[in-house]
Amino acid sequence: MSSRGPQSVSSSTDALAAILQGRQRTGREVVVDWVRSRTLANSWPALAGVAVIALLLGLQQLIEPGTMRLLSAVFMFVALAQAWNIIGGYTGYASFGQVVFFGLGAYVTAVLMNNYHVSFWVAMPAAILGGVLFAVLIGVPLLRLRGHYFAIATLGAAEGAREVINNMTPVTGGGLGITIPTFGDQAPTAYFGKPGFYVAFLVLAAASVAISTLLARSRFGYAMVAVHEDEAAASAVGINTTVVKVVAFGVSGAIVACAGAFYAFQQIEFYPTDVFDPSFTVLMVIMVVIGGSGSVVGPLVGAVGLELLSQFLRVNLGTYNQLIFGAIIVVVVVFFPQGVVNFFRDAWMARRFSLLDNIRRYRL
Amino acid sequence: MTQFAQAAAYGVVQGGLLALVAVGFSLVWGIMNVINLSHGAFAVTGAYVAWLLNQHFGLDPFLAIPIVAVAMFGFGYVIQRGLINLVVNAPIFLTLLLTFGLSLVILNILQLLFTADDRTIDTSYASQSFVIGTVNVPYGRLAAFFLAVIITFALAALMTRTRLGHAIGATGMDRGAARLMGIRARHIYAVTFGIAAALAGVAGTMIATVGSFNPTTTPGQLTLDAFVISVLGGLGNMYGALAGGLVLGIAESIGGLLLTGTWVNAIAMAVLIATLIIRPSGLIGKAQYGGRVEV
Amino acid sequence: MIAEPQTVSDPILEVRNLSKRFGGLWALRDVSFSVSEGQIVGVIGQNGAGKTTLINVITGHLRPTSGQVLIGGQDVTGQHPWVIAHDRVARTFQIVKPFRGVTVRENVAIGAMHGNAHDRTVRDALATADELLALVGIEKHAHDAPSQLSVADARRLELAKALASRPKLLFLDEVMAGLRSQEIATAVELIHRLRDSGITIVAVEHVMKAIVSISDLILVLHHGSTLAMGPPAEILSDERVIEVYLGHRYRKTS
Repeated sequence: MSSRGPQSVSSSTDALAAILQGRQRTGREVVVDWVRSRTLANSWPALAGVAVIALLLGLQQLIEPGTMRLLSAVFMFVALAQAWNIIGGYTGYASFGQVVFFGLGAYVTAVLMNNYHVSFWVAMPAAILGGVLFAVLIGVPLLRLRGHYFAIATLGAAEGAREVINNMTPVTGGGLGITIPTFGDQAPTAYFGKPGFYVAFLVLAAASVAISTLLARSRFGYAMVAVHEDEAAASAVGINTTVVKVVAFGVSGAIVACAGAFYAFQQIEFYPTDVFDPSFTVLMVIMVVIGGSGSVVGPLVGAVGLELLSQFLRVNLGTYNQLIFGAIIVVVVVFFPQGVVNFFRDAWMARRFSLLDNIRRYRL
Repeated sequence: MTQFAQAAAYGVVQGGLLALVAVGFSLVWGIMNVINLSHGAFAVTGAYVAWLLNQHFGLDPFLAIPIVAVAMFGFGYVIQRGLINLVVNAPIFLTLLLTFGLSLVILNILQLLFTADDRTIDTSYASQSFVIGTVNVPYGRLAAFFLAVIITFALAALMTRTRLGHAIGATGMDRGAARLMGIRARHIYAVTFGIAAALAGVAGTMIATVGSFNPTTTPGQLTLDAFVISVLGGLGNMYGALAGGLVLGIAESIGGLLLTGTWVNAIAMAVLIATLIIRPSGLIGKAQYGGRVEV
Repeated sequence: MIAEPQTVSDPILEVRNLSKRFGGLWALRDVSFSVSEGQIVGVIGQNGAGKTTLINVITGHLRPTSGQVLIGGQDVTGQHPWVIAHDRVARTFQIVKPFRGVTVRENVAIGAMHGNAHDRTVRDALATADELLALVGIEKHAHDAPSQLSVADARRLELAKALASRPKLLFLDEVMAGLRSQEIATAVELIHRLRDSGITIVAVEHVMKAIVSISDLILVLHHGSTLAMGPPAEILSDERVIEVYLGHRYRKTS
């Protein structure tokens, strides 16, 4: 409102009137505009993504089955980290029970394939649907809780769900585990093998990165950020905060449940303690935190980096791997609380690389 | 009927023990807004200290309690001062992660030092018991129960009757204002965490005396129990933790009698979630810090 | 109540016997008034008089203990804030509430892409945001973080965000507090422009002089109750208002 002359007052009143009118554009105009606005400069992330997928598919021809299995795990964690980032990073609701969707997805798939001889291609979508329904069921009451309370409630939901599965022995096999038939006439769907799962998890990872990217750039993405920052202010501009939170939780749950479905089929045989293991949740959180929450690249970098590192530790440092893993978590939280990607981006922009700044940020 | 009386009696003494685990956890949560996922690891560390004293010097676990408490207080003080104070103002998932990482480190060191075997501290009286009517009450558990009750009341007295307690409480309510009153928040936080670690260590010692412990499954279970009890009792509420412990102890032992398998655990989680939704300040009494706005 | 407001047209906002109790304290007690389209209504009162509570209850951020709120003739009592926002109602917050994680420009765009008559794409919303930032005069801060703004600029951002949702009825919660006299002058000018563009304004203010000069109607709250209501001239000469709210100081300066 720097002092304007009297002439500009009337013209800016017209400008205001025009803004308040709104832009009435048809869907067709919006689409045409979007297509025209595409250039090589703003399409490079998509092109780079396609190139990376092509590269990884080509790489498959060159590597051992063991390496394929390792990379499959990396791909799976990329999907899990992206999923956690949607609810924990963008929307700001730190779920400490996201593994519940993994376990449910795995058990829906295994129960359908084992008890009802349903094809994997039916069981997997059913698992996703189950994940979404469960997200809505627990999301509506739990997403009213904030901070620690939401974290504990989701942790409780995951522990509780595991106990329910554990005790529904006639259906789920309970603590004795469940096995998906994969041989001969018994198999509802032929086993994928290591090359098959490599492709499956790669597609899952690519899909989750794509979903996360599209969400982040959409109106819904901005709504999630608004809810994260300030729910009162978000609702004051017309954002239905309940719907935003539940949908974000549902999308996240769907991705995790889908990962659980593939994981179940890959494992063939598993127990409730395997697929409801809280360390899956912790891994999702730590990957997002290490990389940097609230972006697409952060969780991607965190998942790839940490899973490769932990595989390396497991192979080379045997008994010390958990100890070192714990130490890494402590160091990362203290020195890179905003994530490695965000740290380097900010440091680059400010031309100032100081880990002490990071410590000063949250210390007492 | 006898079965129920026995289960109830067992539940009461077990509940006291669980309350002792939870009271420090609840204190830290209430005062500093930090959920300490390494609380179970602290309890087990204390148990190992008492176990070592017993193994090497034949020291009775009840006599070892002061030593364990002092050692764990020092350990807790250093951890808070040197580590957790660095991220106290961070978003909650960072403090959760930090304490989770810390617990991984502590437990893996313990496992390397002492293996993953189940340990127990043998005493002449642990297996003895007296009988009221038809109900059997082991001496060890009864002593542990009374110790838990005494400590809870002592802690409550510390919080309400002493300068230190007032300083802790003031820091918990408004850190900025407490600072203006000349209270050193860094020190007070470290003392609070030290007290919680000491209480966890004492609880671990009692668990080692009346039962057994190991570095793999015990810590997680204890932390989870502390969670449930703190929520039931209301954050930072000492008497609430005691009552919450008793409720959980009795519910688990009677539930174990009525229900097959581990349904009782599922029900415990359902109660936890229902409490959070319906009455986040806790079922018992009024939470001292539950109303505080979280950021 | 002193006088019924003169109804020029159908009231866009009608508040009937609104009360809000916090424990033993009545933050609002039996407040009634109505606002016609195109009016500027000033709400004044001391600290704790219930001004912000009034806005919070009307815009759905607090549920009233009793009473009714009608917007455009429709009962919206106790509705969620976003439902009320979709009735083309916007507000600013006294303690500014920017979305800290995104730029100033994106803050405004978030307002433009939700609510009623919203832009259909993020690109359109960002374009709207640029226009609004120019209007309130903080276009040079478009790509800054909201935390870098001065107090006055943060208030402007708050206003731009509210305008982005294209309101017909706008609540301003102390937008002039802490501003220098030059800044107040431009704020007053802007409020007039908003009204000329067809926005009905309810402004809660501490700054007496500014609000009196632009309001068609003034509501004086005291301990949650209506102390007086009427045109500015009438309020300024009302004995009780002078005694309770304005005190001697204002009489002297005027």
